[in-house]
Amino acid sequence: MTTGPEEQLTVAEARAYLLDRARERGVTLEVYGERRASTNVRAFGGEVGEFKVQTRQGVALRALVGGAWGHSFTENLSRPALDRALDSAVENAELVAPERGAGLHDWPPPPALDLHGEGLSGVTAEQKVRVALDLERVTREADPRVVSVPYAVYQDGDAEGLVANTEGLSRETRQLYALQYVSPLVSEGGQNKMKGDWQFTREFTELDPTRTALSAVERSLALLGARPAPSGTFPAVVSGECLAELLAIFAGMFSGQMVEEGKSPLAGRLGEQVASGLVTLTDDATLLRGLNSRPFDAEGCPSAPLTLIGEGRLAAFLHNAGTAARAGTRSTGHATRQGLQGTVGVAPSNLRLHPGTTSPADLARGVTGVRLTGVEGGHAGANPVTGDFSLQAEGFWVEGGETAYPLEVFTVAGNLLDLLADIEAVGAELWFTLDGVEAPDVRVRALAVGGG
Amino acid sequence: MIDQHLAAEALTRARAGGADFAELFAEDTLTTTLRLHQGEVKDAGGGNLFGAGLRLLYGTRVVYAYTNDVTPAGLRDLADAVASARGGAGEPDRAGAGGLDFRRLDARPLYVAREHPLHTAKRDKLALMRRAHGAAAGVGDVKTVDVNYLDRVQRVLVANSEGLWAEDERVWTRLTVTAIAQDGPRRETGFDGPGAGQGLEFFETVPPESVGAEAARVANAMLRAGYAPAGRLPVVIGNGFGGVIFHEACGHILETTAVEKNASVFAGKLGEKIAHESVTAIDDGTLPGSWGMVTVDDEGMRGERTVLIENGVLKSFLADRVGELKTGHRRTGSGRRQNYTYAPASRMRSTFIDRGGETPEGLIRSVGDGIYARRMGGGSVTPGTGDYNFAVQEAYMIRGGEIAEPLKGASLVGNGAQDLKNIVGVAGDLALGQGMCGSVSGSIPTDVGQPHILVSEITVGGRA
Repeated sequence: MTTGPEEQLTVAEARAYLLDRARERGVTLEVYGERRASTNVRAFGGEVGEFKVQTRQGVALRALVGGAWGHSFTENLSRPALDRALDSAVENAELVAPERGAGLHDWPPPPALDLHGEGLSGVTAEQKVRVALDLERVTREADPRVVSVPYAVYQDGDAEGLVANTEGLSRETRQLYALQYVSPLVSEGGQNKMKGDWQFTREFTELDPTRTALSAVERSLALLGARPAPSGTFPAVVSGECLAELLAIFAGMFSGQMVEEGKSPLAGRLGEQVASGLVTLTDDATLLRGLNSRPFDAEGCPSAPLTLIGEGRLAAFLHNAGTAARAGTRSTGHATRQGLQGTVGVAPSNLRLHPGTTSPADLARGVTGVRLTGVEGGHAGANPVTGDFSLQAEGFWVEGGETAYPLEVFTVAGNLLDLLADIEAVGAELWFTLDGVEAPDVRVRALAVGGG
Repeated sequence: MIDQHLAAEALTRARAGGADFAELFAEDTLTTTLRLHQGEVKDAGGGNLFGAGLRLLYGTRVVYAYTNDVTPAGLRDLADAVASARGGAGEPDRAGAGGLDFRRLDARPLYVAREHPLHTAKRDKLALMRRAHGAAAGVGDVKTVDVNYLDRVQRVLVANSEGLWAEDERVWTRLTVTAIAQDGPRRETGFDGPGAGQGLEFFETVPPESVGAEAARVANAMLRAGYAPAGRLPVVIGNGFGGVIFHEACGHILETTAVEKNASVFAGKLGEKIAHESVTAIDDGTLPGSWGMVTVDDEGMRGERTVLIENGVLKSFLADRVGELKTGHRRTGSGRRQNYTYAPASRMRSTFIDRGGETPEGLIRSVGDGIYARRMGGGSVTPGTGDYNFAVQEAYMIRGGEIAEPLKGASLVGNGAQDLKNIVGVAGDLALGQGMCGSVSGSIPTDVGQPHILVSEITVGGRA
C-alpha cells in the first residue's frame, strides 16, 4: 500500500481546502462532493441473508486550463491526496483539446425542494430488518407455486451533495429514500417464471411490504402457462412499464452531447414532428417523488421542468452549460456525473411520457396481437445511434381485445422513433419504473415479434 | 496503509458480537481514463478509489460495512458499526476459530506488467489511441470514431480471522474503438475493445491499429445490411466474444450465488449430462496476463482452473466462501468484487468452451440455411429461469452452406439449460474476448471465449 494513514478531512473541509489551493495557484476549479450513508438488508429463507451498512464519500474535481477541462477524483481525503487530485486535474486539462463554451458559472439559486422528509434518525436497524423479513415471508407464503424468493431487499440512502467553484458558487443538498423490492421464483408444470415489484418512498413509514409482496407474486404467477409466441408483425399494446423501459434505454437521443457528437437520430430535427401527436414527453428534476429528483445539477445549475416533445413535435434537447453554449442555447440543468469517477456529461432526470384519456378496455379493443409487458437486454440489443432495437421480451397474446395467455420468451424488434410515431392511443394511468421514467400504456400499429 | 496490529484489532473488534468469521478488505486503486472523439482529446480523467470493507459471517449470514476513512479511528468505527449491526450467536467456524497470527500468502503474481501504467506518461497513452483512431477514421463510410483508453491499478489487502494475510496488485489495460459508418440516413456502429491484465506491453501483441481497423470493418460490413429474419433457425456463432452465449446462458447459473438461492436450473445436477457431448467448458483464473486473471481472489484464495463441463457432463460450480458454506460445493478461487464497496461473490474469470474437432467452414457448410453470427454484442440472463438474450453485432445469412448477405438488428434469445443441448458442433479455433460482467458484486473484468460453434436451433429476433 502506498498511502499512509493520514488524517481524513470531511467533504466540506476538502472543498474549502481545494478551493483555497486552487485560488493560490490561479486555477479555475469546480469541486463536486458526495457523502452517502446507506443500509441494505436482504432476507432469504426467513432470515437476514445479508446486512450491509455503508458510508462513502469523496470529491470530483474539474479544472479549466486554457479553455479545456481536466477531471480527477479522490476518495482519499487526506491533504496530500487532495493535492495529488488537483495536480492531476490540471495535468489532464493540459492534454485535452480546448472546448468552445467551457466556463464556470455562479447560477441563480435553485428551487426549494424537501427531498429529505422526516429522515431516518429514529428508525432502528430492527425496523429495517423487519421490512425485508416481512417482504420475504409474505411473498413465500402467498402461493404454493412460489418455490424461492431470490431477492427480497430493503434499502435506504441518506445522501449529501455539494457543488462549489472558484467563481463563487456554493450549493448543498440532502436527500433520502427508502426502497423495497422483491422477486419470487414461481414454478408450475416445469415452467419457471420470475417477476418483481418494488416501492420507493421518501418516508420510511410509507413502506408497505405486504402490498408489494402480493403484487410481485401476482405478476409472477400471471406468466405461468406460457405458450410459444408466433413470429410475425402484429398490432401491440405496450404497457407503460415496458414503454418506460424503452424510453430509458433510448434517453440518450435527447442528450445535447449525443446530438453534438453525431450520435443522435434526432440531431437537426428541432421543431419537426418526430412522434404521434398524442405524445408529450417531459423531463422534470423537481418532482418530490421522482427517483432522480434534485434541486440543481452536477454543475450547480438550478433544476426546472422541460418539454422535450410537445404533441409529437421535438421541442428541446437536454443540455449542460458546455453543450448549451455550443448549441447557442442555455443550460437546461442536465449536467450529470456517473458518481465521482465519471466526467461531466448530459442525462435526463425524471422522464415522463404524459398520460392520455383512453381506458384499458379501449386500448386493447379489437387487437389481435401482443401485449408487451417488459423488455430485457437493452444494454446490448438496442442501438441508441439509430433507435433500432431487438430485445428479449415478456408479454401476453391478445385475441380480439382479450388477454388470452402468456408467451414464452420471445423477441421484439423495431425502432423507437417508429414506435412513437405509430402510437394510436394513449392510456390514462401512469406507470413508474426504477429507471425514474414514467409512461402510460399505449397501442401501436405494429411490432415485429420473433417466437419459437 | 494498514499494519498487522491495526488489522488484528479491527478484526477482533468486529467479531465482538459473536461472529464466526471476520474479513478485512482494503483497497487503494488508481485509474486513468482518456477519450478521443474524432481524433481530439475530449476527456482526461481518473483518480483514486480508496477504502476498506469488513465482512462478518454468522453461520452463512453476512454483515458487510465499508468506509473511506482508512485511519485507525475510521477502522475502529467501522468495526464497531459492523459488530453492532447484527448480534446473536453463530455456529463455530468450520476451520476453527483462528488466532490472528497472520500467515502471509505467497501470492507470486501470474504476470508482472513490464510497461506499468503508473510509469507511463499520458501522452504515450494518447499516442496509442491516435494510432487506433487513424486506422478507423475515413475507412469506407466511417464518419465518426471514438477511442477510449482505460487503465486501472488496484492494490488490495485481504486479512481474515483465520490468520490469512494476502496482498495483490492487479493491473488492467484496455482500448476500445467505436466506429460509426454513415451513408445518408443509414448509420451503423462497429466496436472492438480488447484488454488484458497487463501493462502497455499488451499493445505490442495487439497493435492499436488492429483495434481501429476491426471496428471500421464491422461498421462498413453492416452499413447496407438488411434486417435479420425472426424465428427459430440454426446459427453458427463466431469465436472469441461469441463465448458470451455460454457466459450468459450457462456461466451465471453455475455460480453458487445463483445456486444458493435455488435460482439455478443446474442445482443438484453435478455429474449429470447437461450439454451435448461436444461441449467442454472451463473457467480459468490462471491464464497469465489475461483480462480475467486472478492471482488471488478477493477473499485471498489463489485463482485456479475449474472444469465446469466435460464432454457434456457437469463437473463443477464456481464457489466463493459463502457459496461453499451454503451449497457444499468447494471454493474455486472465484470470490470477486468490483471494489471495497461490495462483499465478494462467486464470479466468472476467463470462461470458455474448449476446442473441438471441426472447422468453421465445415460448420457453416453443414447448416444449409441459417445465420452466421460472426461478432456478438453483450447479453444478460435471468438466473431463476435461465432465460437469456444477447445482441449480434455482425451477422450474415447462410444460404446453401455459404455465407451470404449481411444482416443487422439480430438478437438471440433462449433458455440456457435447453440450448446447451443444442450446441452440436465445436470447431478448433478457440479465442477469448474481453468484457465487463455485472452482477451482485459489481462490474468486473471477465473473458468470454469459444471456437466457432453450431447451435442446431435458436430463437432469432429480427424483423424481416
